[in-house]
Amino acid sequence: MSQAPANPPRARTEVQADGCVFILLAGDWKLDSATPEIAFKGDRVVLSTEGLGSFDSSLPAWIHRHFRHVRQLDLSGLPPRLRALVQLAEKATSSEEPAAPAGLLEQFGGWGLSSSSSWARAFEHIGETASGLGRLLIGRARVNWQDFWLQLQTAGVDALPIVALLGFLTGLIMAYVGLIQLRQVGATIYVANLVSLAMTREMGALMTGVIACGRTATSFASQLGSMNVSQETDALRVLGLNPVEYLGVPRILAVTLMVPLLAVFATFVGVFGGMIVACAGDLSVSQYLTQVIVAISLKSFLVGVIKSVAFGFIAAWAGCYRGSVAKPSALGVGEAATTAAVLGITLIVISDALFAVIFNLFNF
Amino acid sequence: MPPTDILTSEGLAIGHGDRVIMSGIDFRLAAGRILAIVGPSGCGKSTLMRSLSGLDEPLGGRASLLGLDLAAATTEQRAATLRRLGFLFQGSALFSSLTLRENVELPMREFLRAPRRDLRALAEYKLALVGLADAMDKLPSEISGGMAKRAGIARAMALDPEVIFLDEPSAGLDPMTSGRLDELILKLREAFGTTVVLVSHEVPSILRIADFCVYLDPDAGRMGAYGPPRGFLSPDAHPKAHAFFSQARIP
Repeated sequence: MSQAPANPPRARTEVQADGCVFILLAGDWKLDSATPEIAFKGDRVVLSTEGLGSFDSSLPAWIHRHFRHVRQLDLSGLPPRLRALVQLAEKATSSEEPAAPAGLLEQFGGWGLSSSSSWARAFEHIGETASGLGRLLIGRARVNWQDFWLQLQTAGVDALPIVALLGFLTGLIMAYVGLIQLRQVGATIYVANLVSLAMTREMGALMTGVIACGRTATSFASQLGSMNVSQETDALRVLGLNPVEYLGVPRILAVTLMVPLLAVFATFVGVFGGMIVACAGDLSVSQYLTQVIVAISLKSFLVGVIKSVAFGFIAAWAGCYRGSVAKPSALGVGEAATTAAVLGITLIVISDALFAVIFNLFNF
Repeated sequence: MPPTDILTSEGLAIGHGDRVIMSGIDFRLAAGRILAIVGPSGCGKSTLMRSLSGLDEPLGGRASLLGLDLAAATTEQRAATLRRLGFLFQGSALFSSLTLRENVELPMREFLRAPRRDLRALAEYKLALVGLADAMDKLPSEISGGMAKRAGIARAMALDPEVIFLDEPSAGLDPMTSGRLDELILKLREAFGTTVVLVSHEVPSILRIADFCVYLDPDAGRMGAYGPPRGFLSPDAHPKAHAFFSQARIP
């Protein structure tokens, strides 16, 4: 427990008949001590010392807090050094009253305005990305190709181990759950159909998309957010380069190309994982593989590939977009990475649901 | 009674890693004085300041700050001394996710036991001292370079330091803002009695505010001269220091 100071800071208030308020300051004023609270009314205040001991900046800070808006403040009764410390802050301070805190309605309006501008920025970014990709197709885009090759490596090849692990475990879990249920109706052979169809049409693409959000989107948001902080994106603008086109397009292109390949890889690994469980149970390897070949049609394979192209695009775009609007601070970059992952995963799940409806409508 | 030496350097050698870039640094500085460290770019001015403040360990010689022998000090002693110092880094080093008020309040919250309202009042006072009363709730990204320097000084002054180190306080500022910053440093020294050690290239500013000057000579790898800055304007002064001051001086 902290020890109470021997001579604590004190302030006594005396109100004169003419309304003038006298404040008598006494004691030792230290940064570590709690300062006294006073209440007074009036526009004329005279500060004086009565047995004032030692003081540091806690005393002028206390005077500044209580009397900065007083119309007539008489400091002539203060020691010269204290007077100088108070006046030094007074000279530099504006006489404006602090703004009142925003009301509930104002806060709600502010939230509405900021969210509408955030949506507008998102659509603008989508437009710029589309324009950049369009310009790329006609060979007029200025793109950092070094970034493209680097991202093929980091977002693609470097992601193989985690994609393999998660794909394998997904297939394994599905086969295990399926085997238990199908055994009850004597249809364990269909475990192969279950795993292969689910991995090909759904889980391969979905898992890879989610991994891309966790690995790549957050990485893009941090990279581009940091570039925002250090004004590198502004430097690109003044060079006549569009940062979305120059930095975003190669990243989006690389991930959109790599995620389908990773999804196909995850599908194969998942089917293999399912085979381990199925063969440890009731099926032979040849039975399992025969059923897999029967179950997977080209149509199913295409469904998975189409989805994974979209998921790759979404993950990369979410990272680039959140990075481009990151607030210029360490916290802002961190927020950008988090929101990139959340936005990417949310959009992937929503688009997966839309794909299910569309493919069902077209009997695909 | 003669004023106490608050900072002494005896044959100090500084550098990066094991590589000595400057040696033979000798001077004594009394409390309440302003010392400027000058020299051509890359000569080790900032490195010397870091060594004098205890942030980095010197590679040789002795330095004493606030009565503490920096070479012999333990980590705890060094940390305790660092708390009695203020430091303005070249890029201001404000915490980008905190407002100016929060930046100044941060060291207070860590080291003072006073109630929150008092800490807030102290932070507001320190920002008012440097003329930033109207910008307290702004983030560092929303203010100019000059304002960031002033906010950095307010944070450096947060705990009423006995010595304040300023690394190029005027760098990148226009002459008007630089002049106002010089006035601020002088006023803070006058009001708080703070000892100031600063690194600067700005000769007019050094002549205006510094009591003493250390000139580092990169060609010799040693301290070239030490003394009042106006003395370097004399043709009898150290030739390189004289050339440095004469070339940069506004006629």
